[in-house]
Amino acid sequence: MAVATVTLPRSAPVRRPLAGLGTLYLRRLRVTTKTVSGVIGQFLTPVLWVLIVAPALDTALGGFNPSIDYFTYVAVSQATFIVPFTAMFNGLNVIVDKDFGVLREMLVAPVRRPLIPLANSLGVLTIAVAQVVVILGLAELRGAQFHSSPVGLLWLFGAAALLTLGIYGIAEILALRISRQEAYGPLIPAIGVTPYMLCGALFPISVLPAGIEALTKLSPWTHALAVMRHGMMQGTDSGLGDIWGLGSETAMAALSLGVLALFAAGTLALAVRTFNRTTTA
Amino acid sequence: MTNPAVQVDQLRKVYPGGTEAVRGLGFEVAEGEIYGLLGPNGAGKSTTLGVLTTTVHPSGGRAHVAGHHVVREAVAVRASIGVVFQDSVLDNEFTGRENLLLHTRLWGLPSGEAHGRITDLLATMGLAERADDNVRTYSGGMRRRLEIARALLARPRVVFLDEPTTGLDPAIRDELWQLIGRLRAEQGATIVLSTHYLEEAEGVCDRVGIIHEGRMVGEGSPGQLVDQLGPDLVELRVAGDPAPVVRAVAATGIGRRAPTVRGPLVTVPIGDRAQASHHLAALSSDGIGVVASTIRRATLADVFASLTGDPITAHEEAA
Repeated sequence: MAVATVTLPRSAPVRRPLAGLGTLYLRRLRVTTKTVSGVIGQFLTPVLWVLIVAPALDTALGGFNPSIDYFTYVAVSQATFIVPFTAMFNGLNVIVDKDFGVLREMLVAPVRRPLIPLANSLGVLTIAVAQVVVILGLAELRGAQFHSSPVGLLWLFGAAALLTLGIYGIAEILALRISRQEAYGPLIPAIGVTPYMLCGALFPISVLPAGIEALTKLSPWTHALAVMRHGMMQGTDSGLGDIWGLGSETAMAALSLGVLALFAAGTLALAVRTFNRTTTA
Repeated sequence: MTNPAVQVDQLRKVYPGGTEAVRGLGFEVAEGEIYGLLGPNGAGKSTTLGVLTTTVHPSGGRAHVAGHHVVREAVAVRASIGVVFQDSVLDNEFTGRENLLLHTRLWGLPSGEAHGRITDLLATMGLAERADDNVRTYSGGMRRRLEIARALLARPRVVFLDEPTTGLDPAIRDELWQLIGRLRAEQGATIVLSTHYLEEAEGVCDRVGIIHEGRMVGEGSPGQLVDQLGPDLVELRVAGDPAPVVRAVAATGIGRRAPTVRGPLVTVPIGDRAQASHHLAALSSDGIGVVASTIRRATLADVFASLTGDPITAHEEAA
């Protein structure tokens, strides 16, 4: 069949395995931070925690252990409050993409499908890391006594990153399975915040009832917080001893980081699997 | 057909739960052709387009798009296609231009080429002045034009349009069909579309495939299919039992096929208009219940009804 052709269609280009990842990542970041209210929302909570809630807790509860600067103690722990909440909250964006159909455009793009949830997770990770920087920066300005080093910062950001990725994996799975914002919404505080109460954020897990303490040792929140305190409060009780009971802080921190790595890899792998199953009939 | 742009052979799709949506479908689409998949809701059109755009995994058979296997070379298939979905699929957080820019990046267009291409297509679609407005402010017709522009950005070899005019008012539907016809000539892409607006498909498609219950029941150019059926029809409106009318029509010998009955209408394809006119007067005066009679050109809707025994209903036309 003869057709007048001005521009010949080109053949399909060979695409690199990670082609499209950067574009998907930047889109996710842009969607999350597109509006002023979105940006303020992401950073208002950490600012309030550090400037108001943490000092108040210091005043009310600070005397429980004279060897610990309680303000610094709870300032570090705010990362385990903010990061999971951010990860869970961003699951809503997955539902929005499904509801408004933008996901369908991505599904017919010449990118490998696992890159779509992975790009989402990297976008959330970027925001979470920025939040941790804000928390610790403001805490430092407000008088927190951090004892750290470049290696200590690596422990901190390593734990924060793995906790973010692990919880975002859960968020992506739930968002793909649930598909309704009103059903997903109540899970945000349930999963994003409740474990924070029991991870040693406000008090050592050793003061919990024995059964609860044993359970908290399985929680990624507990491992992440202990590694963060190991990185930022060197020379004080990080909580790693309560989890592992070993002699070497570094070895225990490495073990906890390993737990977090398994957690992140496991939930992200499940998220990719769920994504493939729920988006292709 | 040598090097078809789309090749489907014995395609099957059984969804979990056992629903068999596509049952051994086969067709080919030539490079540069506009091919319409026609059928009512549930016929298997969207599932077939889903397989061809790699969002539905086939249960059996083979399908190739632009020479690439839809399962084994899914990324290469997606690099060769543009898709316009039945529902609006735009990123509501962004402007029209930003939506197009995202597409060019995902499809790997070099930046310099992308900006020029976006500007050209926005102008072609009459959207240049609204390009930097948020797509939330676009009308339904504007959104659809932007989606067609997006589908063409990366110069795809095959463009899939799934019910492209559903939900649009008639004036915009006419405008879009004209646009689709023009773009085929200008862009040189192969276009595969699904629709249940049969009259519209008749005007724009080079060939159509009629799908019924997951099977291809007829294929050809709209003109061929209509000629095979009639090409003219006698349509008789009947008051009361149509059976005597059917018997009387059959006795005249004017029909090329057996009459079909849909409600009060008895329809029969004819080959000779003059002969049919002669018999119509007699049928109307026989007292067998004929209240009105017409001879008219057959349409794709008649072809569809003839092939499936079931017209596309008013409900589906409105869907």
